Amino acid sequence: MSEELLSRLRQSIIAADPEVATATTRDLLDAGTSPARILDEGLTRAMLELGERWKHGEFFLPEIVASAAVFTDCNDLIEPTLLASAEHRIGARVMVATVKGDLHDLGKNMVVAMLKTAGFDVIDLGTDVSAAEIVDAVRREAPQVVGLSALLTTTLPEQRSVIEALTRAGLRDRVKVMVGGAPVTHEWAEAIGADGYGQHAPDAVRLVSELTGVVAG
Amino acid sequence: MTTPMTAAPSTSQRRPRTLGRRPHVDLLDPAELERTHEATLEVLERTGVSVRSDRVVGLLAQTDAVVDTERRIVRFPRAMVECALAAAPRSYLLAARDRAFDLLLDRSQGYYCIEGGLSHIVDLHTGQVRLPVYKDLVEATRFADSLDEISFLWPCTAISDVPPQDQAVHQTYVQLANASKHVVAMTTYNERDARAVVEMGAVLAGGTAALRDRPVVSSFACSISPLTWDGQPLEAALVFAAAGVPCGIVSMPVSTAGAPTTTAGHVVVANAEILSGITILQTLHPGAPTYYCPFSADMNLLTGNMDAAWGPEPVLFNLAMAQLGRRYGLPMCIGTNGTGAKTQDWQAGAQHMLILMGTLACGDIDLIACTGGIDSSRVFSYEQVLLDCELWDVAARLLEGTPFTAEYLAVEVIDEVGPGKHFLAHKHTRTHMREHWRARFFASDTWQEWEEAGRPDPGDRARQVARELVATHSPDPLPDDVDRELRSIVDHFTSKGATP
Repeated sequence: MSEELLSRLRQSIIAADPEVATATTRDLLDAGTSPARILDEGLTRAMLELGERWKHGEFFLPEIVASAAVFTDCNDLIEPTLLASAEHRIGARVMVATVKGDLHDLGKNMVVAMLKTAGFDVIDLGTDVSAAEIVDAVRREAPQVVGLSALLTTTLPEQRSVIEALTRAGLRDRVKVMVGGAPVTHEWAEAIGADGYGQHAPDAVRLVSELTGVVAG
Repeated sequence: MTTPMTAAPSTSQRRPRTLGRRPHVDLLDPAELERTHEATLEVLERTGVSVRSDRVVGLLAQTDAVVDTERRIVRFPRAMVECALAAAPRSYLLAARDRAFDLLLDRSQGYYCIEGGLSHIVDLHTGQVRLPVYKDLVEATRFADSLDEISFLWPCTAISDVPPQDQAVHQTYVQLANASKHVVAMTTYNERDARAVVEMGAVLAGGTAALRDRPVVSSFACSISPLTWDGQPLEAALVFAAAGVPCGIVSMPVSTAGAPTTTAGHVVVANAEILSGITILQTLHPGAPTYYCPFSADMNLLTGNMDAAWGPEPVLFNLAMAQLGRRYGLPMCIGTNGTGAKTQDWQAGAQHMLILMGTLACGDIDLIACTGGIDSSRVFSYEQVLLDCELWDVAARLLEGTPFTAEYLAVEVIDEVGPGKHFLAHKHTRTHMREHWRARFFASDTWQEWEEAGRPDPGDRARQVARELVATHSPDPLPDDVDRELRSIVDHFTSKGATP
């Protein structure tokens, strides 16, 4: 029974169908399936499969973003039970944010979606996030990597401010920092002391694997 | 033919990638068009053409043509030319072994072909330029068979390891045996070659009558500029006409040398040569399928070399010739793609895209020749074929246009997403995103990816794909008995033991 439901959940995530996916998640919880199993064998496996098929050119990035949104819908349903039951981690934990002053979240959303296809545990802080908020979140969630997105040349310096704030808070050695966004270059990433830089969303998967030693998907 | 014919055509699931309906640009206003046509008729009536065949001159002496038998100069009265133009069929089929590649010449589609008879080839493995051998033509023909953008085949390269007089027969056999598309036996220079080609075509079509209905081979005859017909190619054209095998009439004058240096004068010489060929063919074989086929060439003013590299003048030449061809209502073949480049660089890309866009503006040309040549059409390059096919695919996609219906205007979708969100995850995106054209060779990798891959250029990527296609593509094989029959024709018409 739960096998059948898990299979339906995976299919509905791959098809980016939020109605079927959330209904199936509820059915699984009602049937007593553990939230950890729903996360591992349903949600995460679906994203991993999408990632594989993206590598073969069968799926495009917008489809992964759509599926990642459905993933989040379902994850919201299981999270209360999951947190109540036990600590559960999948792969490395990655936190991403678009920096203060910048409302552009397309690139950041693509990064979130691609990271999910590699099975990483992704925390998305949203847009216009201040250095202080990021520092608090890093202290609270203890991610292994934090990704900072900036599209504008005017908000780019904020990436440096976040790194400086992490250093001042004594957290810099506990977390790797990766930066991205159209104006970001390898030279900029080095100059501000970031640990890595990606030019497009799929780069983030490679980068997180390199920074954490956790092999993607 | 004495043996039963077994090469029944089949139909694959493949579809040739063709150009759809094209709006045309009229370079000439109506008065200029008529002035150019009248100038051509004056040349044909007053100057005439040299016909270097006693037999053809003798045949024409019995018609309305004004013939100077001694000097072998033939002049064509206006009425004779007009009568010939009226006799030529407006539409007909170029058939293929695979019916999916049957090409109906009715102006609705533009068909692309691979280069023909090039004297050199870039070796796909060493990158060196060398003389092509029999095996090269086999491989290049199979490669062309694998590409949906290529609708019909010229014999890609010359063959240096067979006696020159046997080349046309060997080329035709290689084309027929290694591809299931329509074959143009373009290097048939004499009656004997033409008879061999017709016999091979009849074996494939299922007899001489069937060959008329489904000509799986065709040819063309090319004048020598200015205003000269060599005897043997013309005699070959008459063999094709008698057999109902389509035979185009080609003129390729080099401006400044074989034609006046002005584009208008260049056009008049080319038009006069084509109309003279069509008039000879239609007068002696009324209704024989033919087509109007101008190819442009310029002379390098410094060196005197023929320069098949494209600039603005050949585009203007093509536009004017296409307008004349449209006036005559004949099926047309037009030349595109000429580059002086030696590799797949800025020059090759710019020249080929320039002439392709110019060709689109020529309107509904049926046959568009050709892809694969570099170094002013001396050298065959596999890489160039693939990159040209990418440009062709862009052109085909452009002509398909894009809808502006409610579904595509997407007001509901825009409202659902609203300000500040994104369209990435909307179902409308998933429904329509695959309609976007996708590049195979235009790169958009990141700088880092490009460095890691060893800084490849589009030619490098094309070379990899070409190697794979040459290694893996298997053409639909000929039935054994048909192959035997074709080989016996080759043996009959060529020097014994000459096949490599």
